[in-house]
Amino acid sequence: MYDRKAVRRRRAVLAVFVALSIAILTAYFGESGGGLFHTLQRGAQEAFAPIETGATRALKPVRDFFGWAGDTIDAKDQNAELKREVQQLRSDLAEAQTSLRDANQLKAIAALHEENYFPRSTEPVTARVIARSPTVWYSSVKIDKGSGDGLRVNQPVIAAGGLVGKVTGVTSGTAEVRLITDGESGVSAQVFPQGVSGVVRPEVGNLENLLLEHIESGRRVTEGTLVITSGFTSSKTESLFPRGIPVGRVSKVDLDELETYQRVHVEPFADLRRIDIVQVLTRRGVAQEAAALTEAGG
Amino acid sequence: MILSVGAFVRVAALLLVAVVLQLTALSQIDILGGHADVVVLVVAAVAYYAGSVPGSATGFAAGFLLDLLTGATMGASSLVLTAVGYAVGRFREVRDPSHGLLPIPVGAAATAGWVTAFAAVSLMLDIGARVSPLVIRDMIVTVLLNALLALPVFTGCRKLLRPSLAVDPLELRRRRRAPREAGPIGLRGLEV
Repeated sequence: MYDRKAVRRRRAVLAVFVALSIAILTAYFGESGGGLFHTLQRGAQEAFAPIETGATRALKPVRDFFGWAGDTIDAKDQNAELKREVQQLRSDLAEAQTSLRDANQLKAIAALHEENYFPRSTEPVTARVIARSPTVWYSSVKIDKGSGDGLRVNQPVIAAGGLVGKVTGVTSGTAEVRLITDGESGVSAQVFPQGVSGVVRPEVGNLENLLLEHIESGRRVTEGTLVITSGFTSSKTESLFPRGIPVGRVSKVDLDELETYQRVHVEPFADLRRIDIVQVLTRRGVAQEAAALTEAGG
Repeated sequence: MILSVGAFVRVAALLLVAVVLQLTALSQIDILGGHADVVVLVVAAVAYYAGSVPGSATGFAAGFLLDLLTGATMGASSLVLTAVGYAVGRFREVRDPSHGLLPIPVGAAATAGWVTAFAAVSLMLDIGARVSPLVIRDMIVTVLLNALLALPVFTGCRKLLRPSLAVDPLELRRRRRAPREAGPIGLRGLEV
């Protein structure tokens, strides 16, 4: 025997939650950036930022361990006595490798600024990645700097190697960065120095391959050439990056694909699977103004 | 599930820990191109032990929290996790399973449902770019990793939720076991 009342209640609960989800989806798409749900998201992210920052720091050894395990998965078996000693050494090594990787990333970012094509009118703000989106469909990371540090929406973000994305949301202490591998991303770019223009779009799920699309017909692109941001707004994109930020290198040119779809493949410079440190290119002066205001405020 | 303040607090704490752990650690640990997803396992565990109504409510809350903190499209995760929670809860109510290793296939199936349905919802809503076949590899890796994690996660959730559970499937299994020996009437259980 089944209880009709319980069945009705169960179905009603399911219907309510599904309807609520669809209502939220509809409202979210319909509202502007300052609407209720967007504001709620910003508020929640601001409130949870200290927890996420703390958890990120606390769980760093766990991540380091897994990172190390991935690199040494082919290691040979060792005897029990040595294992204890090696365990200690591994722990030290993981810590040292992490520090070295951080240092290398910072060095590579600094080297980017020395390139002659890199935009000069920016003030970089260095930040650490504290959270990452769990799905491949929304490729974004959260960083530990926010509007209090001079960050604003749509500012470009670079990491070791080149462009990684742009700021899509800020709270006072954190910022949301949409990566160039996000399905929504589009970056106006050109092949340097030939000047062939196009839009860099992702291939969702493949972090090592980008597509330079909408290339002007008849223009030739050769493998191995540099792709940089072009610094103008295209009708296909919503963002505006300053000219000269390196994006990647042309990795594959298929002439049929180029003629039919007007696109070539680009390998990004930045290692988007393992970003620990990034730099947000704020407008020159905004970061200092924010710092001055903070100091003046107390 | 016995609805009480304690039950709400337990489930809320469980979800909060799962979401923070997912965003700050598990999403950043890359294993064979994919990563484990503990949020869907927690939703499946609550549904498995508590039933379809608490399962769908937990799924909705988990999805809402996930969308809030990741800045993703609000409502998408809630919609899919509500369905996952309901489906796992109904499986438990209809089939009344009690095998100790069942969390492994249940966790894997729930994860497969979640990654597939979320991909479908994302594609229908706002993904305009070309999709790489590597997405399928990521999905499979996530399902396999979650299958490995299912047993400890379900065990942990069961221990935490036990004071609020109306029926515990593992307790039922113990009760269903036949007596080892049936002696003469009046002496059953004394093994004479």
